[in-house]
Amino acid sequence: MKSPRRAVTAGALALGLAASLAACSAPAGDAADDQEYGSWEEVLEAADGQTVRLWMYGGDEQGNAYIDSELIPAAAEAGVTLERVPIADTPDALNRILSEVQAGETDGEVDLVWVNGNNFGTGKKAGAWECGWTEMLPNMELTDPADPLLQDDFGTPVDGCEAPWHKAQFTFAYNSETVTDVPSSMEELLEWARANPGRFTYPAPPDFTGSVFVRQVLYSVNGGYENVPLAFDQADFDEVTPALYEELTDLAPSLWREGATYPQDSNELNELFANGEVDFTMTYGPATLTELVANGTYPAGTKVVTFDEGTVGNASFLGLASTSGSKAGAMVVANIALSVEQQVAKALPDVWGQFTVLDLDQLSDEQRAEFDAVPSSPVVPAYDVLSENANPELASGWVSPIDEAWRQQVLAR
Amino acid sequence: MRRRWLSAALVMPALLVAGFVVVGGIVMSVVQSVGLDPLVGDARLSLDAYGANAGELLTGTLLSLAIATVSTVLSCVIGLAAAVVISQGRVTGRLVAGLSAITIPIPHLVGAASVGLLLSDAGILPRMLGISSGAWPDLVGGAWWIAVVFEYTWKESAFVALVVAGVLASRVARYDETAALLGASRARRLRHVVIPLARPAVIVCAMIIFVYTLGSYEVAWLLGRPYPEPLPVLAFRLFDSITLTSRPEAAAVAVLTTLISLIAVGVGMALLRRTPLWN
Repeated sequence: MKSPRRAVTAGALALGLAASLAACSAPAGDAADDQEYGSWEEVLEAADGQTVRLWMYGGDEQGNAYIDSELIPAAAEAGVTLERVPIADTPDALNRILSEVQAGETDGEVDLVWVNGNNFGTGKKAGAWECGWTEMLPNMELTDPADPLLQDDFGTPVDGCEAPWHKAQFTFAYNSETVTDVPSSMEELLEWARANPGRFTYPAPPDFTGSVFVRQVLYSVNGGYENVPLAFDQADFDEVTPALYEELTDLAPSLWREGATYPQDSNELNELFANGEVDFTMTYGPATLTELVANGTYPAGTKVVTFDEGTVGNASFLGLASTSGSKAGAMVVANIALSVEQQVAKALPDVWGQFTVLDLDQLSDEQRAEFDAVPSSPVVPAYDVLSENANPELASGWVSPIDEAWRQQVLAR
Repeated sequence: MRRRWLSAALVMPALLVAGFVVVGGIVMSVVQSVGLDPLVGDARLSLDAYGANAGELLTGTLLSLAIATVSTVLSCVIGLAAAVVISQGRVTGRLVAGLSAITIPIPHLVGAASVGLLLSDAGILPRMLGISSGAWPDLVGGAWWIAVVFEYTWKESAFVALVVAGVLASRVARYDETAALLGASRARRLRHVVIPLARPAVIVCAMIIFVYTLGSYEVAWLLGRPYPEPLPVLAFRLFDSITLTSRPEAAAVAVLTTLISLIAVGVGMALLRRTPLWN
């Protein structure tokens, strides 16, 4: 399969380079992938002895600890060596896979990726993910096939291209020692920010958290998520976003440093919150708050605020790279990660505190009791409270245009 | 004739590696930037990638040039002064040499993180001085990129100091003494002996620093602000963007950065040729 694009590239390379470079840039043809398995037994057999590299955001210490102390040993029992590759941001992994796809690599550096949202959507479009494999996982039976969070990932059909891992809920936390008039909606939060200049800010998109904050404001200024079409369309974009940027531009002078600049990422916002420079922080992973308050990073008065209209909720997945050479091993790890044992361990606040993707109604009484025994947090309400009135994510096609227009209209104003 | 072949053969491995990386990288960037190697879709020759971010490309270029110029000038002035102190050979000289030598092996990334911890508005310095974060100037992430320039200057002036001190050590003492015996004052010796001797080394250092600061990413990202972006930060954001069409745009920024660097090196080489010592 020699496309004209490759021919042009090869020609240009030959012009500039010795034969050595051309030799290693030209893929050895799209060799048939021999990693096809008819049954789960075949997968288990092929997985034995494989090494699986899991690329995931490395800035979440509890997440790292969970992988190291729970998932890696469990994978080792199944004969799979699991390695955790910490990255600064998920696009790093996606970019790596895309480069490998471009180079025709079949035994790439990336096997599994902690992924969702537009990273998944873009990767699916560009052939970065292996698809149609999750139905083979025995533990998929423990999930609810009708759960909308597991069917679509930011509007992109999952199509078995990634295995569910845990659920996330966009959450605001505040310092109850300084915030006495607690807002109960997005609108009130922005009012609060105006009434308390310099005490609120949000990370600059395309940071993951800053990006969802802007989408949450988009829902708010349009009177709720019902009024914003989930599928992207330029005409809809032109209709619903002017109010958003007007609102955020108007808000900017009341923000930290008068909105002249923004935290580069959510870590920077968290630091501002920990240092008492702002009174609010926000996160997709509220469960980590418990530990941060307990170890004194965050003020003791840190509390979670829930909004009447709800906040955005989504699910995280494990994507299997199409360039992986250890697909069977990766499937085994994804299956283990879906087991009751691992999902309970991950839900414990002092381990990672992530909300399970399993459908509790499908579990045995014994298994359900394990989830019931997960201690509740003094800081974070339970998932069913947090996810009340949960808003759906916009289709991934929305994300980049919204972030880019934010750069041009709010950041560069 | 034979010896020439032998010496050519001996440098070949180094030349091949350098050529592979430099020529290969630049050719790939150019190919991508003109749309001939897209991630999705058909290859089509176009300059769209250069026009797509024209505004940001301009502000980014100006900002990068400003940061690189200020950092280079400050590093060279401070580094030259330090080199003069070092080449005096007294205790202060040894102290300065020691400090410079310690600075060199610290990676820029670590340096940037330390400068951030030190100078940010909730950093160690304002805390030690008891200044509230509101009253502290925006050195990190502020409008003037002060922390970025500070980090480059701190690291690179040490580099200049050591390189220039090395050059001066070899000959300056003899010339300096001769000039002193002939009755030249301190100021005159500095102007007519030390600086001319140091000039080629300073120019070479300036070229290295300018090109390095123009193309380096991590310091500007860590200590800078999200807007406007210097060229390397812009290139990295576009390369890392999950919009599939933005890779050619990232390559276009990289090609532009390379061009500016080549021009800077060209200017530096021209200046170097005009120094009497180089010839």
